[in-house]
Amino acid sequence: MRTEFLRPIDGLRLSEEYRALLRPGENGAGANGTVHRLPRFFYEIGSWDEAHEIRLAPHFTLAELMLVDCREARLLLCQFPHYVPCAILLLARFLEDFRREVDAPVFIGANGGYRSPAHQIGGARSIHAWGTAANIYRIGDTFLSDGKSIGKYRTVAASLCPAVFVRPFGREEGQTSDHLHIDLGFATLTPRECSEAS
Amino acid sequence: MLSVDVFNGLNEELESLALRNKARAIGIALHDLETGLRFSLHGDRWFHAASTIKVAVLLAVFRAADEDRYQLDDSLHVRNRFFSAADGSPFRLNQDRDATPELYANIGRTAKISSLAHAMICGSSNLATNLLLEFVGVEYARTVLREAHVDGVELRRGVEDHSAHEQGINNDATADGLLSLLSAIRGDFLTSQSKGEVIRILLEQRFNSMIPAGLPPHATVAHKTGEISTACHDIGIVYLPEREPYITAILTEFDPDTEGRRETVAAISEAIYRSLLRTEPTSNED
Repeated sequence: MRTEFLRPIDGLRLSEEYRALLRPGENGAGANGTVHRLPRFFYEIGSWDEAHEIRLAPHFTLAELMLVDCREARLLLCQFPHYVPCAILLLARFLEDFRREVDAPVFIGANGGYRSPAHQIGGARSIHAWGTAANIYRIGDTFLSDGKSIGKYRTVAASLCPAVFVRPFGREEGQTSDHLHIDLGFATLTPRECSEAS
Repeated sequence: MLSVDVFNGLNEELESLALRNKARAIGIALHDLETGLRFSLHGDRWFHAASTIKVAVLLAVFRAADEDRYQLDDSLHVRNRFFSAADGSPFRLNQDRDATPELYANIGRTAKISSLAHAMICGSSNLATNLLLEFVGVEYARTVLREAHVDGVELRRGVEDHSAHEQGINNDATADGLLSLLSAIRGDFLTSQSKGEVIRILLEQRFNSMIPAGLPPHATVAHKTGEISTACHDIGIVYLPEREPYITAILTEFDPDTEGRRETVAAISEAIYRSLLRTEPTSNED
């Protein structure tokens, strides 16, 4: 597992244009009027090659958890370095446990890992902006696009940790019908070498 | 518009051809860029646009790129979940009914916008169409049509939206409207780079049993077909090395299961071609 490339940085020290998009430490409005503080500490990723080389867990590279489409802010889409919240390590760890449990490759969809608060889908309201959520569209040869497969793997994911939330199958708000949404809540991670003093 | 007298014979020939082939209705529009002559037979009659509406989506996709909303090399998430224009209910496309099933292998991953545009036209991919239309937005696409002065093309929804269809929300078009759409593509509405790319995509059309089938082998056609149970259309720009191109829209409507629908469109294409080659140039007006 290669993680030596991980360079933690304090988002408050980033340039203004990055801060405007990543909004480190700002309050983000959640569903039902809840307020959660957006991640402040990030890993700085120098290139796609680096993202592909960094294994956050034995079966998950960083690249899989940061693939977004052009709904992401252009600066964050097209230019390196990229920044991902440090809590992405926790997500990868959970996904590894999940993979072991289902005993099959787990595929994360595009826009299904970390999305910045500037991403057009969900923005700062989405838990994906914390780097603690994953949308799994396929497990082994099974595409998760029906109640049976989503229900089956939802049960497995939920059994691994009480803090994990998995959206139920369905076509209403808060449900999913073409992927399995797993999240660890609004967790943030402060690397031990970083200070939270402003 | 110049006189249509030159086409009097064509008028009768096409009406008779439609009758002979049991077409319930036809709508034909033609603009010859060599002579400036225009022809329209029931050109203002509305038809279900079927897949010819994908040309309108194509125009919007490239217009948005020209406006720097994104770059054509950008990637889009490929997923098979769309929302009905009728009531917002989610629906999926049936891979078995899509002319480009290979795109479904990309579900979960991404595809370049340029590749999706190519698949939407050349392979008539429904999945690519709905992905692109959802991305640019129906309202934006309609605005683009207005800005391009395209009347007679009503883009209201993505394809295979059965809930919308049941409520009568369809994509409709007239032959005159689709002709003006192709004219907008060929004109200066898009940047020259986008225009070239759009025409290149239309030239790579894989389904060639209608307009091209009525033409000599040396003709090339930038075109898009459209077929549903009752409609069979082809619209395109016909390039002939010896002359300026002509633009035509051939729309037909049949009872379901009528045979020989594509052959009818091909025969209309042939009749137009023969008529034009007999026509002496009268003007260079475009």
